[in-house]
Amino acid sequence: MQHSSCRLALSLGLAALALPLALPAMAQAPKDSVVVCQTLEPPILDPAGGAAAAIREVTYDNVFETLLAFNAEGRIEPRLAEKIDSSADGLAHTITLRAGVTFHDGAALTAEDVKFSFERAMAPDSKNSQKWIFAPIDRIEARDARTVVITLKSFAGDFLDSLAWADATIFSAKSADKAAAEPVGTGPYQFVRWNRGDRLVLKRNENYWGRKPAIANATFRFISDPQAQVAALTAGDCDAHTNLSAPEAVPQLRANANLRVSVGRTEGETIVAMNNGKAPFNNPKVREAISKAIDRAQVNEGAISGFGTLIGTHFSPNHPAYLDLTGAVKYDPAAAKRLLAEAGYPNGFSVTLRLPPPAYAQRGGEIVAAMLGQVGIKVSIEPVQWAQWLERVFRQRDYDLTIVAHVEPLDINIYARDGYYFGYVSEAVKAAVARTKSAKTEAERIAAFQETQRLITADHVNVYLFMLPKITVSRAGLKGMWNNWPVPANPLAQLHWE
Amino acid sequence: MIDRALRHPSFVLGLSITLLVLGVALLAMIWTPFDPTAMRISARLRPPSATNWLGTDQFGRDVLSMLMMGARNALLVGVVAVGIGLSIGVALGMMAATREGSLLDEAIMRICDFTFAFPAVLTAILILTFLGPGLVNAILAIGIFNIPVFARIARGASLQVMARDYIRAAQAAGRSTFGILHRHVLPNITGILIVQASVQFALAILAEAGLSYLGIGTQPPNPSWGRMLNDSQTYFAQAAYLAIFPGAAIALCVLGFNLLGDGLRDVLDPKSKER
Repeated sequence: MQHSSCRLALSLGLAALALPLALPAMAQAPKDSVVVCQTLEPPILDPAGGAAAAIREVTYDNVFETLLAFNAEGRIEPRLAEKIDSSADGLAHTITLRAGVTFHDGAALTAEDVKFSFERAMAPDSKNSQKWIFAPIDRIEARDARTVVITLKSFAGDFLDSLAWADATIFSAKSADKAAAEPVGTGPYQFVRWNRGDRLVLKRNENYWGRKPAIANATFRFISDPQAQVAALTAGDCDAHTNLSAPEAVPQLRANANLRVSVGRTEGETIVAMNNGKAPFNNPKVREAISKAIDRAQVNEGAISGFGTLIGTHFSPNHPAYLDLTGAVKYDPAAAKRLLAEAGYPNGFSVTLRLPPPAYAQRGGEIVAAMLGQVGIKVSIEPVQWAQWLERVFRQRDYDLTIVAHVEPLDINIYARDGYYFGYVSEAVKAAVARTKSAKTEAERIAAFQETQRLITADHVNVYLFMLPKITVSRAGLKGMWNNWPVPANPLAQLHWE
Repeated sequence: MIDRALRHPSFVLGLSITLLVLGVALLAMIWTPFDPTAMRISARLRPPSATNWLGTDQFGRDVLSMLMMGARNALLVGVVAVGIGLSIGVALGMMAATREGSLLDEAIMRICDFTFAFPAVLTAILILTFLGPGLVNAILAIGIFNIPVFARIARGASLQVMARDYIRAAQAAGRSTFGILHRHVLPNITGILIVQASVQFALAILAEAGLSYLGIGTQPPNPSWGRMLNDSQTYFAQAAYLAIFPGAAIALCVLGFNLLGDGLRDVLDPKSKER
């Protein structure tokens, strides 16, 4: 009797369990929505108004578009520009805009919008984080509704390519002011709502000029805790995660038949940045000692389970101009101690390591602190939030050491920038970076890039750790996620369910 | 009294746990199986084995060594934070008691009420945000919250003692107020203070673990049970032992001090003997 009632209860229980499982399976047939999870939430949604990569990750090629754009392979293709004619001296660029493009508010895209967007970026009060893109511009002329002519002051070989950056986004004069919170663009997805701290909801732009995207409703969810990311993926709360912060969970997720994991590349040079403008880091011997005291392979292993690619300079191995300088600085704590003694610090010194929230920085920071401790440098770790990091470390240069990934492509020119947070000043580097712009041939340009790489490595400006990997996890059946990040972007229009 | 104490089960259990933790903490000052801060990344996330009895963490550090050093830090927080509360709090409380009803008494007690009005850990977070994270500041923040606890208890107990006849006699004999407090009042309230101290000790260890869990207490590489617990979260699926050991250490330690406190109260307070 007891047995049979037990069995009854058990089978009822199983039926109850099976019921909720069966319902979504039936409703699933024509799936046209997606929940993409990512680690960081953007502080604002205006890609021309801040340096945070998270802004680009949600808006680039989704809400906003640029004249040219990066594709998944990192190659530049036309987007809003249909055709670009350059004068023989490379100074005047005549850009013909694609016909029939409208903003989400119904306004048509015109040459005036291009002029407005670039002038907005160039304005003295603009918060654009890549103003160098617009620095060579002499004047912008809207010749007719679809033709804009940009004249440069001096030749800049990278000018057209830089128009593919999110910082050169095209806004409408009418709605640009609202871009930070309620963006209006020309992209395949339009803004629906942003629940701060949780999610950003987008819907398909039915009037999009290009191919109609397969996904009608897309949501970006922001989950910063590594373990919560894994839980959300396993529970099915996320259809994909753009870059998982828990590399140690990769074997566990790979074993899950519902999920696909890919470990790809980013352009994120992860570095231990040193405040070169401040003692003791203004002494090249100290910087060399720090470089030699850090075993990069171990940091890679401990911080991101060895998924990173080691580098010896601030340059991506994905680019043809990359110079392999990984052997230039060898791990040698004894030599590091000697150098510190020569620099006048036989007993080391005390410094603060300010760490932003990402797991690679937090974990890498603990390892770096332990390694520096081995050569007598006493490191106190100070975790900071992104807003604090951007304000204190990046803007006010109030730091000794920090760890951060520089995710912009081809960003070695930051070493020539006055007032940049490294506090590094070198006329030789400035000259070399200038040559990367003035070079007339690709070979010259590559030579100038390589010269810059050699110079910054020889000067030990920062400690070059590794290229940040992109660990993309997606539900089986979801196709089209970018496996590599030539730029931080997640174009939703390329996603579809199979 | 010792006889009675040794027959009191929770006192004996509490005392044994406390002595064990104390012994481990003292041992950690001179010896741990490995350097608790030494990383061996090639040997990371190893489960418990003959070499590493409690396994290794995400950086290949020996968990047992970290737990031992963590015990030292936890006791350090307890001793200093309760010490701050005890010394300042008792002085204030006794001072208030001698001038019962005066402006000074009112002022001290209202400040205590004011401090009690805020949740202790929340205010400790506020103080640490202001002073900056770290072990010393965490001790200070926890210590400050122990002051009103002891001030109140010392005041109440002193008032009871001071109503007794032998105090009147001492006053009539011309003893100074300080002399009376020192010779007659303090010895008579010691028992109650010791009981309270053992309870506060457990709370202080819990508070430190909580603050370190939130990342504003003990800073790396100095091991802390709370931070070990926080770090282990990320690796829970791969290495659950990383969470279990520090969690058990915190629970055991707090249990030990609470049992000790309960036992001491029963032993030191004759009235509750026959409960």
